[in-house]
Amino acid sequence: MSEMLIELGGIWKTYDTGEVAVDALRGIDLVVERGEYVAIMGPSGSGKSTLMHILGCLDSPTKGSYRLDGEEVGHRSAGRLAVVRNRFIGFVFQNYNLLPRASLLRNVELPLLYGGLERERRRIRAQQMLDQVGLGDRGKSRPNQLSGGQRQRAAIARALVTEPALLLADEPTGNLDQATGGEVMDIFDALNGCGQTVIVVTHDPQVAAHAHRIVRIVDGKIAHDQETRAA
Amino acid sequence: MNLLEVIADGFADVRTHAGRTALQTLGVVLGVASVVGTMGLMAGERQQSLRYYTESGGVLKVMVWPKTVENVRSSAREMASRGLTLDDVEAVRASIPGFDLVEPKIGRTLLVRSARASKSYYITGVAPAYADLHELQVERGRFVSQDDVATAGTVCVLGADRAREFFGSEDPVGQNLRLSDHLFRVAGVLRYREFYWNRSDSYNALGWMNEVIVVPVTTMQVRVVGAGSRRIDEIGLRLASVKTHDASVPALQRLLTNRHRADDFQVYDRQDRIQQMNQQGKVYDFTFLACGIISLVVGGIVVANIMLASFTERMREVGVRKALGAKGWHVFVQFLVESAIVTGLGGAVGLGVGVGFVHGIAYLLDQTAVLTPAMIAAAGLCAGSVSVIFGLYPAVKAARLDPVVALRYE
Repeated sequence: MSEMLIELGGIWKTYDTGEVAVDALRGIDLVVERGEYVAIMGPSGSGKSTLMHILGCLDSPTKGSYRLDGEEVGHRSAGRLAVVRNRFIGFVFQNYNLLPRASLLRNVELPLLYGGLERERRRIRAQQMLDQVGLGDRGKSRPNQLSGGQRQRAAIARALVTEPALLLADEPTGNLDQATGGEVMDIFDALNGCGQTVIVVTHDPQVAAHAHRIVRIVDGKIAHDQETRAA
Repeated sequence: MNLLEVIADGFADVRTHAGRTALQTLGVVLGVASVVGTMGLMAGERQQSLRYYTESGGVLKVMVWPKTVENVRSSAREMASRGLTLDDVEAVRASIPGFDLVEPKIGRTLLVRSARASKSYYITGVAPAYADLHELQVERGRFVSQDDVATAGTVCVLGADRAREFFGSEDPVGQNLRLSDHLFRVAGVLRYREFYWNRSDSYNALGWMNEVIVVPVTTMQVRVVGAGSRRIDEIGLRLASVKTHDASVPALQRLLTNRHRADDFQVYDRQDRIQQMNQQGKVYDFTFLACGIISLVVGGIVVANIMLASFTERMREVGVRKALGAKGWHVFVQFLVESAIVTGLGGAVGLGVGVGFVHGIAYLLDQTAVLTPAMIAAAGLCAGSVSVIFGLYPAVKAARLDPVVALRYE
């Protein structure tokens, strides 16, 4: 097991929009160690979403190398990227992205289903995760029967159910009020306290303040990379 | 993750979209129901006709009847023609192959008397083969025999209604019946026969079989008409096989025309009737089947439409699933399971509705409903192919979706 969880080297992402080629990322070098708590910030259009997609293996870079947990994953096929996402990465989205018509338990179970875990163990594990985020008794509820904070907690449970090396959150408090957003960030803090690597993409300084390191993206490049407190 | 789990997940997914699935299913239901319905009705119609032809002597029966020449423009030759004669029968037997039965019939209306009743009826003088030709079935006793014909015996065979009329509940076999001035012994009684085209129909198409009084043709000729007469009232023929029809029937027509030198007879040919019927049937079949297939395609388009409409709604969902680690084929199978359920459910319900439709219409119109396994298989195949074809496209599209694009979709 490598100390370096993420090693990005010279990452370029170019979108060919037909007439003009747009460079969303222009040579990103970034190393994240195991157990770090990183906030990626930047104005809209800076390329931070693109960076998040590449970090999350949802997209492949046009150029450059991406080593995740010591393995090159930058240019894998769609099917193999799906396996990487399933095993190594837990996503938390701004709008929760829970399947609206499935129960919470089923939502949390889903990554395990794609991971190939058998039914019984899936159930038990998913229930454990719901218990951990304080939604143990809401397993049968549909997402629309829950408050925003509860939904985001369920989403966090789903993201962590496969025990991923990396928790990747995209504006996790964007749809929540101050107090609930604070609660969600407290969960992230606690998780990081237990050694979980967390990367939060945000433009909110209050959210970024929870992280121990802030990476600023401007025009597809890292403009600033700063430790804010000792890990 | 194995295939069964993915399929199970697809089922769970469909359960959460019950309304949408129901709509899609309805499309297939209508299509399959209309195919089954139309095929069933057409087949029922056809089968009823075939049953009638089989019960009344089969498709090999050919009849020749004299035609009365009433036309003022009729030629002297026509006037001079003696109509059908026993010599015609001999000539046909001698020179036209392809018929295994060629039998004359002579009939006259005579006064029939028994202890119980007295009334005039048409008496039919025939050879033993007459029973084979028309599928007459003997209930008790026997039919006219070769011996009866050779000796011009005074025996008769009664249809079921006539037996009851002249002898009531007594057994007529062995009893005497007076036809005109002659005393005949009843040799046999025919089985009661019936055939109704519709259930509410009061016309028994086989009713004449219950009303015949049959005697040997020679007896009729010698004792009633007069031994010198060669005239007959009908020639009944039976084709040796369907294959001989096309050569033998025109040959028969030519021979008689040459012998009579007049158009004073007509040939009634069941093959022609049945061919005509089949031809018409084909046209109807095709038309109705085309209608059925069109509704099936419409059903398929409904399926595809709803799938594509829900596709945009489901794009985000596909994105989320992919972010969580779903591979292309997971999504593909999930979509296809939905199609399969729609097909299976729609096909089954459609079949039920179609069968119900056929029986309902058959009941209302007093038709016979026929459903063969082949028809059911055909309908199933139609439903399956439509649903797979129209379900495959959205499934492939979903499977190939880029997760970033899908997630960003609002």
